Amino acid sequence: MLNREEWLPLARKLDWDYTYVREDEVFPQVISGHPWLPHAEWKDWEESFKTSYREYVDNQYEKDMAVYAVRDAIGRLENIQKLAAPWLNSLKVHAAALPLAEFTGVIGSLRGARFGRDSAWRTMSTFGALDEYRHTQIPLLLFHPLVRWDSQFDWAHKFYHTNNWFAVAARHFFDELTTGQNAIEFAIGTNFVLETGFTNLQFVGLASLARESSDHMFERMVTSIQTDEARHAQIGHPVLEVMMKHDPEYVQYLLDKWFWRSWRMFSILTGLSTDYLTALEQRPYSFKEFMEEWIIDQYLRTLDEFGLKKPWYWDIFEDELNIYHHAIYASAYTYRATLWFDFVIPSPAERKWLRQKYPKYWDDMDAVWEQVAERWRTVGPGAANELAVHGSAMPTFCDLCQLPLSAGTPRKNTANVLTKDGRKYIFCSAPCRWIFLREPERYANHKDLVKRVLSGEAPAHLPDLLTEYFRLTPDTWGKDVYHGAYEWLATKKASVA
Amino acid sequence: MYMSIPLYGFLEGDTLGLLMLAEEGETVLQLARKLQDAANIRVPHSDNVDFLYDGKAIDPGLTVVQAGLQALDRFDVIRRHTL
Repeated sequence: MLNREEWLPLARKLDWDYTYVREDEVFPQVISGHPWLPHAEWKDWEESFKTSYREYVDNQYEKDMAVYAVRDAIGRLENIQKLAAPWLNSLKVHAAALPLAEFTGVIGSLRGARFGRDSAWRTMSTFGALDEYRHTQIPLLLFHPLVRWDSQFDWAHKFYHTNNWFAVAARHFFDELTTGQNAIEFAIGTNFVLETGFTNLQFVGLASLARESSDHMFERMVTSIQTDEARHAQIGHPVLEVMMKHDPEYVQYLLDKWFWRSWRMFSILTGLSTDYLTALEQRPYSFKEFMEEWIIDQYLRTLDEFGLKKPWYWDIFEDELNIYHHAIYASAYTYRATLWFDFVIPSPAERKWLRQKYPKYWDDMDAVWEQVAERWRTVGPGAANELAVHGSAMPTFCDLCQLPLSAGTPRKNTANVLTKDGRKYIFCSAPCRWIFLREPERYANHKDLVKRVLSGEAPAHLPDLLTEYFRLTPDTWGKDVYHGAYEWLATKKASVA
Repeated sequence: MYMSIPLYGFLEGDTLGLLMLAEEGETVLQLARKLQDAANIRVPHSDNVDFLYDGKAIDPGLTVVQAGLQALDRFDVIRRHTL
């Protein structure tokens, strides 16, 4: 009988020559991806961490048992109810955005499992699909039962099945990244850029915020997921190595595109949690500091390792680190009824902290918060006054990322209009416009929310839009956690200089 | 009868663009006021503003049509001192 070191290489490298069909019929370019190369070019594909199916099942079983044990020990409702109210809303954001996004990762991984160009790649993708299925189930298991206590947790299941504006943006992102993607672009966009680059935000940064917030169940959940991500993320590197020999310009494009698209999504998911929905005394760092330490340094080192350049938009990206998620949060606060979780106004102490962490543009953001606070002072606190401190005009959205036109700075918004083939499009930023123009056939027919309203597809009247199209109710739509009843707001004008 | 023209409005100091339905016959000054009202929850009102279209300041007395604004164009309302 062969020992592990002898049989594993035989089992994971099981390729053969086709005699009844051509190789390009088995692996059509449209679904295997570009560049199409004969298998001889892929045969040295090698993952750095190798596992067998039996080892995989044993490991996953142990990890699942650990998650169950944590849930039974500290995941009871009384434990959750002890968490700070703003942090609970960070949980609601992730409970909605995470599970079904991970499920689209199952589909993308299965595409790699069938159309990846080497058998070892296909084996790793099979494990990856099983991982992503686990990542769908765990947050649903932990979060959705909380709906009995708080109906906003229903969005753990509901989110992607609605036309809520953030769901439209998230679907646009994940459908392209995973569900509708060929095996090569999935390996680059998901395994290399998102899982190697950005999931550190979730699984290192967020885990540390959860620990600081005494949310050990969430901490354990993301840590458990991270151990899977670290394994299947390694699919990206060997795919990239082969592609670099044949079409480095295309590699550069895919990396630049997916870094930007991932940045847009994670700046909201993680940025809001880090800088607003975690209590000030529990914030170990700012979102920008975390990006610089855990994302940027590592990503630039990896680019350098492969002989790739920084994205052309790097200066724009670095500038956005100072402002983009702040503009999104303030915009979302003043349109909180369009979302399924609650918000807080940063207190004078938090604004002082934000000024220290983000000195470049904070004056502009502080003026916005002062105006919002002034509105609460005028109308007075209380649930009945929520909509008096809320926007009523229709917000606008980017035709590429589908997120609000909040890029640039409050002094100079960078939204730009494009007329193409008789139609008008608007983009929040130069990189979103650039991505659109590289693949207009992919994006041109997608209607953003404004165009859905203008065409009559979505209601124009805001209350109807919220209830009929976003599928919110007065109970579930977002509010101020304290309905404007902040001690600091009642006493005097905030002094945060 | 006037037609409504959907436009993307950006007020200096605001954190997002807003959809503004302009009437053909209204002046750009009226449209600027409308945007200021819509964004007032985030940006205080100011009397001294300029209306920019295609990067150029527009005479506030011109109507939306006279200014050449067309559906889904961008316009900006900025504080005058920044000119």
